[in-house]
Amino acid sequence: MSSQANSVSGTKAGVAAAAAAMAGMAHAQGSGKIKVGLLGCGGRGNGALRHCLQADPDVEVIALADLFEDKVRRTRDRIMREEKFQDRIKVDDDHMFWGYDCHEKLARCEADLLCMATAPAFRGRQMMAAIKAGKHIFTEKPVATDVAGCREVIAASKLAESKGLAIVCGTQRRHEFSRLELMKRIHDGAIGDLVGGQCYWYGGGIWFRGAEPQMSELDWQCHNWYHFTWLSGDQICEQHIHNIDVLNWCFQGPPAKFMAVGGRQWRSSNEDQVRTAKAVCRKYTGSEENWEKFNGDIWDHIYAEFEYPNGARCLSFSGHSPGKGRNGEKIVGTKGTSDCNHNINGENAWRYEGKNVNGQQQEHIDLIKSIRAGKPLNEGVRIAESTLTAIGARIAAFTGQVITWDWLMKESKQSLVPSQADLMAGKPLYHPIATGRDPMV
Amino acid sequence: MVKRRNWTRRELLRSSAAAAGTLVLSGAAGPLAFAQGSDEIRVGVVGCGGRGSGAAHNCVASSPGVKIVALADAFEDRLKRLKDQFKVPDDRCFVGLDAYKKLMALDDINLVILATPPGFRPKQLAEAIKQGKNVFMEKPVAVCPAGIKMVIEASKLASQKGLGIVAGTQRRHQHEYVETMKRVLDGAIGEIVSAQCYWNMGGLWVNERKPGQGDVDWQIRNWLYFTWLSGDHITEQHVHNIDVVNWAFGDVLPETIHGIGGRQYRTDPKYGNIFDHFGVEFTYPGDVRTISTCRQIEGTAGNVSERVVGTKGVTNCAGVIQGENAWRYRGPRSDPYVQEHTDLIKSIREGKPLNEGERIAGSTLCAIMGRESAYSRQQFKRSWFMNRCTLDLLPPDDLKLSDAKPVPPVAIPGQYELPGMGQRG
Repeated sequence: MSSQANSVSGTKAGVAAAAAAMAGMAHAQGSGKIKVGLLGCGGRGNGALRHCLQADPDVEVIALADLFEDKVRRTRDRIMREEKFQDRIKVDDDHMFWGYDCHEKLARCEADLLCMATAPAFRGRQMMAAIKAGKHIFTEKPVATDVAGCREVIAASKLAESKGLAIVCGTQRRHEFSRLELMKRIHDGAIGDLVGGQCYWYGGGIWFRGAEPQMSELDWQCHNWYHFTWLSGDQICEQHIHNIDVLNWCFQGPPAKFMAVGGRQWRSSNEDQVRTAKAVCRKYTGSEENWEKFNGDIWDHIYAEFEYPNGARCLSFSGHSPGKGRNGEKIVGTKGTSDCNHNINGENAWRYEGKNVNGQQQEHIDLIKSIRAGKPLNEGVRIAESTLTAIGARIAAFTGQVITWDWLMKESKQSLVPSQADLMAGKPLYHPIATGRDPMV
Repeated sequence: MVKRRNWTRRELLRSSAAAAGTLVLSGAAGPLAFAQGSDEIRVGVVGCGGRGSGAAHNCVASSPGVKIVALADAFEDRLKRLKDQFKVPDDRCFVGLDAYKKLMALDDINLVILATPPGFRPKQLAEAIKQGKNVFMEKPVAVCPAGIKMVIEASKLASQKGLGIVAGTQRRHQHEYVETMKRVLDGAIGEIVSAQCYWNMGGLWVNERKPGQGDVDWQIRNWLYFTWLSGDHITEQHVHNIDVVNWAFGDVLPETIHGIGGRQYRTDPKYGNIFDHFGVEFTYPGDVRTISTCRQIEGTAGNVSERVVGTKGVTNCAGVIQGENAWRYRGPRSDPYVQEHTDLIKSIREGKPLNEGERIAGSTLCAIMGRESAYSRQQFKRSWFMNRCTLDLLPPDDLKLSDAKPVPPVAIPGQYELPGMGQRG
């Protein structure tokens, strides 16, 4: 990919931002404009940006960043054409950033709030750079793909806490009124002691992207990010985290122990995917000989058991393939059960009858309100823990071992994501497909 | 509750003599399948491999007056050890895929042990009941719904004929399980709201193909790894744990099944077409959802156990209840592999033969449903599976060791067709 010569550090904006950062202040409480920068101009980033704009009339977009220049330009062009937003889009040419260091450039601009929606692999270093520069954060889930990344997010969140900065995460269920009311009741004992539960995200599949002409091999990996564990965290982390997060919410913390089985036959033999992988192989190697390397390494199903500190064992059921799709949660107590959404069955039967909101909108409203009120929400540790829950289950499946939370937090040395220097050097990275009895790292 | 009979050698001899004497008096009042003029249990063993041999010895050790008098196996070399150990004459040793029929035609046999690969079980059970034999059969008892139906039918016929059937799910005869379950079924842990069961282990033996060996010959000698023979490891092994959970539910079977699984590590062709892991959700009446996992991957964490959770407590099903009615089993323990024979033979001799046929058919069915759900990644109801699924893996009557039988492909979702799924509605 073409590297970007411009850098905000040499601009007036950069100087102003650096000054703001030194003062340790992004937009603090009160009214006034909130300047927003978007990091990650794909589908989710564009969605998040619009929800952010709709959340508060005084939000202005001042910077856009993505790995790929064309995505940045396309995002600005498109949103400028949207009547309801166009007068709040103030992205100058020198506030468009791309390349593997775009997050560093973005952190140096004068934005108050950054919306992060790139592939999750880089979230830890992105968040750390942003918090150091004094930005509030909205981040998409998950926030890491490996243990090291989770630890970095926890560190960044603690730093945000000390600097009075907000972190809200795109686990929108946490902002839905019905679930908030429901969880209050569950935590108050409406279904008794929690003794079981289930959560599911099983779907039909996901895109598998080929390489575009100008892309380097690493660019292609990032473009096709879902299919590499180091980039997406695998499906259990990337998607199923929503449902896992709901179970953790019920139990008010992460599991103590993980056991899991899983595999990936369907992805390995999915004809459309194999055809694309072969074409990519031809592009970068000149033949199809090693096409499997280009076929991604994520699994297609993981069946995990979470054991929470109180001894309750819960099912996590996730994957992609043809077959029956599932999505949802259920929590089981000694006095009743709940769909974790708006119903309680049993002794204290209850149904949410209040107003429903779109959680993906509400999370931005809550974030900005909290900033303006001077009581910044900080969901960073919580989402790092839910991310690590998904990663813990994945490690249990990949290794065939029982994994404990203590081991994850204290002993695991797992670090899958290339260093910033390796990324800048454009080195592609392939981990072998997990066997089901990989060593514990 | 059946108490263990601790026979000393002397008691055993005395008891045999007494029993022989009693029978002269009671004569024709004895159960149908008794050999004329004696209450001697005369056993024919069908399937003389590791488990068949084990069961034969367990059976003999279980009760006085038990004799192994005939043997059948597909392979002569597999039969030799038991033949020597029990001094069974040549003319009562049968070899070949139809050997079981010849053995069951012998009039003087009143109990057969069925321990061939489970794919053969339904037809062998049907033949045994037809010939008026009591049956001890290893688990699982079928590998497909067609086989399950055959087992259920044979079990009903056995009841009509007053024949006993006990299945090798030995936990049902293990004192600590029996006592725990009695309490669970009496409400000691309240209403059941959750359960888990596991058979996670390493690898098992494998018989690699020899040069020139025919398909069927090799597959039967390496039977663990072919679905048509073993039912896959979820059926072959994990049925034990699934059976325990069914027991806790009062042998009410799950209504809905959703499984996933695959073959991630053990991929060499010598491992046939079975998976190396399964995870299945069984949903029992009242939307009670349970966890089931099984894995056969060398070097991974082992766990073979069950756990049942109720509104008032939790149990490991094997002697420990925690919660409101905390309890620990402190009674005697016996070898459950022997106890199951003790219980069967006692029941026959008392003229009240146990019949576990339909119960083990139900638990085997659950394992098969879990497998087929994982193969297809479809969710379905038990009623659909029993009424509409046309899967039939029963071996043909004229199967020969020399027959060609290509190994079916490993199931891949989207490619694997669950017969009858088209009619789902």
